[in-house]
Amino acid sequence: MLTPYRVLDLTTERGLICGQMLGDLGADVVKVEPVGGSSARQIGPFYKDQPHPNRSLYWWAYNRNKRSITLDIECDAGRYLLNRLVERADFLLESHNPGYLAERKLGYADLASINPALIYVSITPFGHDGPKATYADSDLIIMAAGGPLILAGDEDRPPVRLSIPQAYLHACADAAVGALAAHHERTSSGLGQHIDVAAQQSVAMATQSNILCAPLGAPENRRISGGVKIAGIDIPLVWPAKDGFVAITFLFGSALGIFTARLMRYICEQGFCDEATRDKDWISFGENLFSGVEPLSEFERVKELVRDFTLSHTKAELLELAVDRGFLITPVTTIAEVVESPQFASRGYFQNVAHPELGESFVYPGSFAKFSASPIEYRLRPPTIGEHNFKIYRGELGLSEHEITELTRAGII
Amino acid sequence: MPNRLPLDDVKICDFMWVMAGPASTRILADYGATVVRIESPNRIDTARTLGPHLDNKVGPDSSGLFANCNAGKLGISLDLGNPSAREVVHDLVRWADVVTESFSPKAMRAWGFDYESLRKVNPAIIMLSSCLMGQTGPLAKIVGFGNMAAAISGFHNLTGWPDRPPAGVFGAYTDYVSPRFTAMAILAALDYRRRTGVGQYIDQSQAECSIHFLGPAILDYTVNRRVGERVGNSDSVFAPHGVYPADGDDQWVAIVCRNDDDWRQLCSAMENNDLARDSRFATASGRREHRHSIDSSIAAWSRTRDGAAIESLLQSRGVPSHQVQNSAAAYRDPQLAHRGHFVTLDHPTVGKFTVEGPRAKLSRTPAAVRRSAPTLGQDNQHVLESILGYDETQISELVASGALG
Repeated sequence: MLTPYRVLDLTTERGLICGQMLGDLGADVVKVEPVGGSSARQIGPFYKDQPHPNRSLYWWAYNRNKRSITLDIECDAGRYLLNRLVERADFLLESHNPGYLAERKLGYADLASINPALIYVSITPFGHDGPKATYADSDLIIMAAGGPLILAGDEDRPPVRLSIPQAYLHACADAAVGALAAHHERTSSGLGQHIDVAAQQSVAMATQSNILCAPLGAPENRRISGGVKIAGIDIPLVWPAKDGFVAITFLFGSALGIFTARLMRYICEQGFCDEATRDKDWISFGENLFSGVEPLSEFERVKELVRDFTLSHTKAELLELAVDRGFLITPVTTIAEVVESPQFASRGYFQNVAHPELGESFVYPGSFAKFSASPIEYRLRPPTIGEHNFKIYRGELGLSEHEITELTRAGII
Repeated sequence: MPNRLPLDDVKICDFMWVMAGPASTRILADYGATVVRIESPNRIDTARTLGPHLDNKVGPDSSGLFANCNAGKLGISLDLGNPSAREVVHDLVRWADVVTESFSPKAMRAWGFDYESLRKVNPAIIMLSSCLMGQTGPLAKIVGFGNMAAAISGFHNLTGWPDRPPAGVFGAYTDYVSPRFTAMAILAALDYRRRTGVGQYIDQSQAECSIHFLGPAILDYTVNRRVGERVGNSDSVFAPHGVYPADGDDQWVAIVCRNDDDWRQLCSAMENNDLARDSRFATASGRREHRHSIDSSIAAWSRTRDGAAIESLLQSRGVPSHQVQNSAAAYRDPQLAHRGHFVTLDHPTVGKFTVEGPRAKLSRTPAAVRRSAPTLGQDNQHVLESILGYDETQISELVASGALG
C-alpha cells in the first residue's frame, strides 16, 4: 500500500516497531544502524540462546520488512551521506534523547532545509519539551509515569508490569498513525513536518480512561489480582478453571447485565445455583451493591458459586460454551497455546519467514489485518547488519566500489 | 485563519461501538476527519455504562470512557433494524470515504450492510471491520470485550508474579493496542485508493494485531520452544528493576538501574555505603542474583519517603525513576500538563467534560479535540440536513418512521 515511499529508520531499541508497521504496509524502510549494528541486536532472547547481533529475537520481532545499512552519523562524512539519503526520503523515524540529533545537525530544522517534504518522527520517553523531557527512562518508568502500572498486580504486592516491555510499542503505534496523518496532509500541501510523540502519553491509553478519575471526580480503582477493586468491592475478571484460568466479563449495568443474566441461567440449569439467584436483577446488581441494597456478602456468595461452576470445567469446555451460547468467556492462554491455536491457524495468521543465513524458517506473528485489495506481505526477513550497504550506497547513491571500500576502511559504513 | 487539520477532507461513517473501535476513530477525528458516529437508540453503547463516571454518577452522558473514545465526533441515533434506516445508511456510505464497524461478525450482513452490499452503493468505499478474533475461523462468532481478547492472546498470563496466579494486565488491553492498528490500516488504504482508485475491505482481528506487541515472546516459543512466563517486575538485563513502597497509602516508586553507573548513583543517593561497597552487587548479574536482598534495602529506604521526592532525587543523578502515578498524580504531573494531556471541553448536558488530548504533536498541522462526545442523537438534524441534504419533509418522515428512536 505504501510502496512508493521511503522511510529512513534511525530509531534506537525504543522505536523499532514503528518502521516495521510502515514496512508491513509496504513502505521501503531503510534501517540506518551504527557501524557494528544497532544496540537492539544485543537484547535477548536469542536464537538457540546464542548471543549474536544477527540472532536477537528482539531484533527479529521488530525489524521485518526493512533493509539495513550501517552509517556512522557521529562524523561529517557519515552525516553527508545521511543528508543525501534524506533528499529522497519521505519519512525519517528516530528515538534518540531530545536534542541528540539536533546537536549533530540532524534535527528537524536541519533536514527540513534539505527536504521540506520530509516527515520527521521523534519517539521519546516524555516528549521533546517540558520539565521531564530529559528524564532517564525505561519501560517500567514510562508505565509508572503514564498511569497503567498502578492498576495491575496483586493487592498485597507492588504494582506489576507486563513481562514483555510495552511502553515504546504504544508510542511507536501512535507515531506511525501520526506519520500517516501528516502524509495525508502532505499529498495536498507538499510539505512535511515534525511529529513529537511522548511514550508517557501513549501508555496512558492503557488506563482505560481511568487517568481521568481525578478531573472527573470519580474514585480511583485499586488493583486486585485478576480483576479490579471499584469503590472497595472486588470485581474478579479472571476465574479459575479445572486446568487453568479463564477471563469472564462478569459485570452488570444496562449493557453487560444481559450477558451475566444469560450465564446465570446456564449456571442454574447446571445445578450450581438456585432459581432465586438466577433471577436476580443483574442489570441493577452493580448499582445495588454500591448503594448497599445488595449486601457484599451476597456478591461473595454469587462469586463462590460462579467459581464452583468454572472450576468444574476445563478452559476448552468453557470456551466452547462461550461460542455456542454467547457467554463472555475466553481462556487465559500461554504463549504456546496462542501459537498452536486453531483459530489463528484457520485464518493463516502465523507466517513462516525464511532465514537463509541460518538455513531455516521461523514462525512469525502474521499480518496485523487482512486487506482485500493490497494484502500485507512479508517481503524481507529482519536484515543482518549492513546487509544492503552495497545496494543502497552503490546502487542508489552511486558511490564507486572504491569509495565504498574507503568508507568501510574508515569505519563510516 | 484556523489551523488546517491534516485529515480535514476525510469522511468516516462509523458504526463502531464500545472501546477498541471508537478509540480508533477518535484518533482520526483529532486529526480532522469528519466522523459520523451511528448509535442505536434501543441498545445503549456499553461504553456509556462504564466508568469512570463524572462526579461518580452513572448516566448516559457521564461516562469518561465514552467521552474519551468519542470526543470530536458527530452523533446520530439510528435503528439499523428499521427499514427506513436503510436509505440513511446508504446515503452516508455514498458520502463517506470509509465505513468502520466493530460488531460481532454477521451483524452487518444481517442488516444488509456488509461490504459486498455497500460497495454496490459506493464502489470506492473502504470498509474496515474490527472484532475480537476476526471475521472467520471457529472463534469468529465469539462475543466479547478486550479483556477476553487479552486473555486469549497471551497478555494476561504474562502479567503478575511467578509464584501466584496471573494478575492479568489491567482491563481490556487489546482495546488499547488495536485502535492504532485500525487507524493506520485506514490511512494506508486511503493512500492506496488515492493512487489507484481502488477501495477495499479490511478484516481486523483485535487479537491478531495485538499479538505484535508480544513479538519477542512469540519468537522465543517458535524458535526456541521456550514458553515465556510472567516474571513480576524483573528484567532480563537491568538490575535493580522494581517498584518500591513510598510514604502514603498505595504510594509507590519505580526505580531502574540500567548499568553499574546507575547503581553507584542509586547507592550514593540512598547514602548506603554498605550496598555500594558490596562486591556481590558490582555487576548486573550479581545484582540480579541477589535481587531480593537489594530490593529489601531499597524498600527500607524508600518506604518513609515521598515518591515524587525520590523521583526528583534519583533523576537529578540520572537514575531512571518515577513515582507510580494514579490519576490524581497524573493530573498534577507538570509534564502531562506541559504536553496538554488533559483537555476540558464544553458539554451540552453536563457542563464541562475533561478528556485526554491528542497523542502525537504535529508541528505544522497539530491535532485538536474539537468538541465533546455527542449525546445520543445530538447531531441528527445537522447530519441529515447539512451532510446528507435532506429537506424538512424527508426528515419528518424519518422521525415518524421511528428509525431515529
